[in-house]
Amino acid sequence: MKKLLAMFLSAAMVMSFAICANADEDGGVLMMATTTSTEDTGLLDYLQPLFKEDTGIDLQWTAVGTGEALKLGEDGQVDIVLVHAKASEEEFIANGFGVERFPVMYNDFVIVGPAEPIEKTDDVAAVFGTIQEEQLPFVSRGDDSGTDKKEKKIWTELELDPAENPNYIESGQGMGATLTMANEKNAYCMTDRGTWLKQSIDSENDYVIDIVCEGGKQLLNQYGVIAVNPEKYPDLNNEAANKFIEWITSEKVQKLIGEFGVEEYGQALFTPNAGTDS
Amino acid sequence: MLDWIRGVFSNPAVQSAVRVTFIMAFASTAISSGIGIAAGLWLQKHNFFGKRVIIRINRTLMGVPPVVIGLLVYLLTMRGGPLGPLSLLFTVRGMILAQVLIITPIISGMVYSYAAGAVPAIQEFAITMGADKRQTNRLIISELRNEIYFCIIAGFGRAISEVGSVMLVGGNIKGHTRTMTTMISLLKSQGIYSEGIGLGLMLLLIAFILQTLGDYLRKEEVRNENY
Amino acid sequence: MRITELRKKVGGMEIHVPDLRIESGRIHGLVGPNGCGKTTLLKMIMGIIRPDSGTVDFEGLRPTDITMTSQRPYLMRASVYDNIVYPLKIRGAGIDQGEIDDLLERTGLLPHKHQYAGSLSSGERQKLSFLRAIVFHPSMILVDETFSNLDPDSEALFREMILERREKDGAAWLIVSHQWDRMNSIFDEIHHMEKGRIVKRDGNLNGAIK
Repeated sequence: MKKLLAMFLSAAMVMSFAICANADEDGGVLMMATTTSTEDTGLLDYLQPLFKEDTGIDLQWTAVGTGEALKLGEDGQVDIVLVHAKASEEEFIANGFGVERFPVMYNDFVIVGPAEPIEKTDDVAAVFGTIQEEQLPFVSRGDDSGTDKKEKKIWTELELDPAENPNYIESGQGMGATLTMANEKNAYCMTDRGTWLKQSIDSENDYVIDIVCEGGKQLLNQYGVIAVNPEKYPDLNNEAANKFIEWITSEKVQKLIGEFGVEEYGQALFTPNAGTDS
Repeated sequence: MLDWIRGVFSNPAVQSAVRVTFIMAFASTAISSGIGIAAGLWLQKHNFFGKRVIIRINRTLMGVPPVVIGLLVYLLTMRGGPLGPLSLLFTVRGMILAQVLIITPIISGMVYSYAAGAVPAIQEFAITMGADKRQTNRLIISELRNEIYFCIIAGFGRAISEVGSVMLVGGNIKGHTRTMTTMISLLKSQGIYSEGIGLGLMLLLIAFILQTLGDYLRKEEVRNENY
Repeated sequence: MRITELRKKVGGMEIHVPDLRIESGRIHGLVGPNGCGKTTLLKMIMGIIRPDSGTVDFEGLRPTDITMTSQRPYLMRASVYDNIVYPLKIRGAGIDQGEIDDLLERTGLLPHKHQYAGSLSSGERQKLSFLRAIVFHPSMILVDETFSNLDPDSEALFREMILERREKDGAAWLIVSHQWDRMNSIFDEIHHMEKGRIVKRDGNLNGAIK
């Protein structure tokens, strides 16, 4: 019995070494820190094999909140970041942690919630105003992620303080978990469209909430990609990072991004806009 | 250092997390102890068909990943789940339910093990003393009190350090169901480490205190060893 | 007390006691090699082990009037004093502090009165267990090698106390011993046990009181 266990363990070790070794082949590994939305929507799973095919580089990522993603970049733990919080990204570069920011694509946010008492509209100010005034339940991520920052920014711009609403709660979790909570609590919630589409179709949750607000200008969400500064951390794979930036902003890949999700959800999840000033 | 600690623990969000953690841990340990101690002693006392299977299931549950229990409770309490109408999801009561399911087998399993070792001798002794049934039961509990305290401490230690099930069932809602552990997890995801370290140190300190209590009880036990 | 046709299978051996009488005011010795079934017989009389067949007729005694001590007695996790008064407490009987101090004094346990029982040496444990058995004046006392490995002085003390108790309470004693040659001076009758059976009975060695 002991012998069998020992054999099993050594076999497992050999296998894991083999897997590790495999990853180091070809063009090496590009380590990326990104936001949960790029993973939750399945975009990265879609792009990764294509990137490998074109460049031989193995893209690996850790999907965290924007705050943590940028922090990982600051600490030199990753080669590249793909996030969506323009102000923070610019600060990241200004502090010398990133080389240059390239816009990649945008998606938009939607506000989901029960159909009563808010009727479907594109007026973000009206929706947030009603929620505040009638103290409707609202689930915020409260995790300092890009989505969370965006939501907080809208409240601030409308000069509303959601803390005054006793039914405004912060989940401190990712988008998927927060949407699930909003659904269970029959509450309103701001989410990126991609995660919402994927959740409402793929998850086994029985969604009783739906989109009540979309299309407003405040709801656009721009993604940017930044290589972490190799002058700060010379052992980073800056070459691969630059290749990725070149690749994802190329016409071919931009077109692929524009097609992503159309087949499955009937609409694109992201709108490519590399080369613009967004 | 002192200022830093004061800074961390003067944060209302941190205070709330500490409060929620203790409410949850105390309540779930109390309920689990009541059920677990009774079940452990009952199991030692009675022989029936399938007892060994029950014991094996109990031992298995002692090692179940808490997040699995969290998922189970989530499914039970979600909208449309069998306990959905009770509105336990994303509440402290729901977290306590999950914790009770996690801790009770730990306490009952430990109590059973101790009882299986010690009760036969206590029972023989009670017969020779002419104790009746009620007196025998009281004697068993008082003779095993150190072990029972030890089990309760172990249960409390688990309750206070749990994160997986609490995150799933409680939902980490700020000011309501956010505990010290889920707060650490959130702070980490935000790239904020200093408050996380503060909370971590406090949990470490609690673990140290519990360990000290446990060691004291064990020492006491050795002193009273029957040989 | 009378035992009739008592049978119990233990391991590969069957204990069979066709007829055994334990009488009040008499000290019965039960002697035999290790593993001959002495302890099992005592436990059957005490009601700890259920016999396969046969009866133990207490002839009017209640089970609570019988007690038993063993070579490795169970001591409660409490002080020496708490251990001694336990049988009195559960009976709701009054506690005669003078008597208890006297008993402790005679056995040399008085200095340990408030110590944890678990901290006693093995000889002291046997003494404590003996005191705990006699303190509530039971009608029958079963003694399972409680006097083994004791120093001669302690053994003499126990003999003295047993004789004293017999006169005072008229209790029946059934004493298991290896070292029957040392204890036998007080036995009224000795039952020799071998392989589960009582093979020989010597009576009135020292003259019965009755």
